[in-house]
Amino acid sequence: MRIILLVAQLMLMQNAFGEEKVIYEYKKYEKFDLGNLEVQGELIAPGDISVRERDRKKFNLDFFNRRDFNSFVKQDIEAFR
Amino acid sequence: MKWQMLMILALGMNSALAAKPAYETYLEKKYYYTALNEFFYETYDKPITEKVVNKLEEILYFTGVEILEDYDEKLLLKYPSSSIRFIVGRKYYQDKNFKKALTYLDNIHPKHRYFPEAKMIEAQVQFHLGDKEKEESAVTRCVKSAAVQESEAGNKKIARYYKMIEEVCHINAARNSFTRGEYQQALTNYKKIPKTSYKWPYVILEQAWVYYQLNDYNRALGLLSTYKSPLLDSYFFPEAEYLSALAYFKLCLYDDSLVILNQYYKVYRPRFVQLDKLLGTHKKSKTFFYDALTDQVTGFDSNEEFVKKIFTRLKKQIRFSLDNNTIYKLNRELNKIHATESKELQKELMPHLADVRENIKSKINYNAKKDVYEFLQTVPFFSAELFKLNLEIVARKRDLLYKNSQLSVDEQKRTRGEMSNVTRTSKEHFWKFEGEFWADELGDYSLGLKSNCQEVKVEEKK
Repeated sequence: MRIILLVAQLMLMQNAFGEEKVIYEYKKYEKFDLGNLEVQGELIAPGDISVRERDRKKFNLDFFNRRDFNSFVKQDIEAFR
Repeated sequence: MKWQMLMILALGMNSALAAKPAYETYLEKKYYYTALNEFFYETYDKPITEKVVNKLEEILYFTGVEILEDYDEKLLLKYPSSSIRFIVGRKYYQDKNFKKALTYLDNIHPKHRYFPEAKMIEAQVQFHLGDKEKEESAVTRCVKSAAVQESEAGNKKIARYYKMIEEVCHINAARNSFTRGEYQQALTNYKKIPKTSYKWPYVILEQAWVYYQLNDYNRALGLLSTYKSPLLDSYFFPEAEYLSALAYFKLCLYDDSLVILNQYYKVYRPRFVQLDKLLGTHKKSKTFFYDALTDQVTGFDSNEEFVKKIFTRLKKQIRFSLDNNTIYKLNRELNKIHATESKELQKELMPHLADVRENIKSKINYNAKKDVYEFLQTVPFFSAELFKLNLEIVARKRDLLYKNSQLSVDEQKRTRGEMSNVTRTSKEHFWKFEGEFWADELGDYSLGLKSNCQEVKVEEKK
């Protein structure tokens, strides 16, 4: 069994080293006849459902809103003496 | 036997004369501050009788209690008098130890001269402890007792002090109502402050906040416009500018907000920079602020008129008036000792009085510096808030442009106000503002601007 496996491994290694180098070559020029192209499907105009409006992100800035006058009370009491 | 009796009597009289405390002698000579110092020195380790306590009250009547602020509390509490309870209770209030403050403030005699001020502080203690009923009771007692003391006051200065107590009690009650969200009650209390009061210009800003919370932006703006009156040109608050810009913003009158913003940056900011620069050079001075308050600083140039006005405002405080009066009385006592007493006694008494005088001067200097810097600290805060507002306005204007919308009031058709937009009660009468401020109208202004918050699509021009 061990001998069979060893032979198989050697055969595979031989195949790997024996592969030829493949060179891919791309077309340098190709002509498309757009008029002749056909796209299958339905022609529809964009409507309210197809265009979804999205509100811009609003950043709620936290403006100072006075809720007490405690610092004023302290100042007034201290202004007496 | 007769001779023996006479001898005993003479010796007794002699020892009685010798036992007369020195502080009593000083008091008779009207050396009040010397008497106070001597009083504690002679009595602190002896039994404190009612007579001794009454004597302390007598001395404090002339010196005031401010001088005791630095004294040790344990020493002060040996003397169960209303003045001492007041000064200790006040100290505990300042340290936010409200329950302990109450134990002293609640035990001041109703006829005592500090009773109204004690009730003013007690009302705030009760507010912090959350007892509304007791707070209102303290306010009522403060107002009533202050009115009685005012009517019995010996001179104008004392009458003014009690009048101020009465007004601050009303104002604090209004502020407490505001914190609880009781806006109508707050307005009722604010309206008890007469326009002639020293506190009235400060109250305008607070009332404007109340109207702002009630969403009556027109009234808030009207009140704040009072600061534009020539009579109030020495009163300037960055917060008032911010609140005006915010109220316009709430009405979606963005261009008006921007006018306020630009004005703030053009007019006020350079003034604050000037103030900051001037005060920066005297930051560590121990005399500059005192000298400025007592008109010993000359040479405020026209750019520094703004600074001069701040000092004028500080001079109107009761605290400054009391402290300055103490210095005056100390000088009088020093001069009298210098003129009438022996060299030996002068050496014994005068250094202490000179020290006390220097302490009071340092206190005036420190308090003025603190007040000016506290005011200056509000500037960067409200500048930052105004900057945030500016950003938001620009963002909203940009959004309108992207959405091809504009706000409901067309700039060209827009009117600057209509009576229909003014909220008023049945007792209020209105006249149009025609470019002139009338003293009796100050503080009653309202704008009649329509909210501009509804958006409309911009129609294409054909």
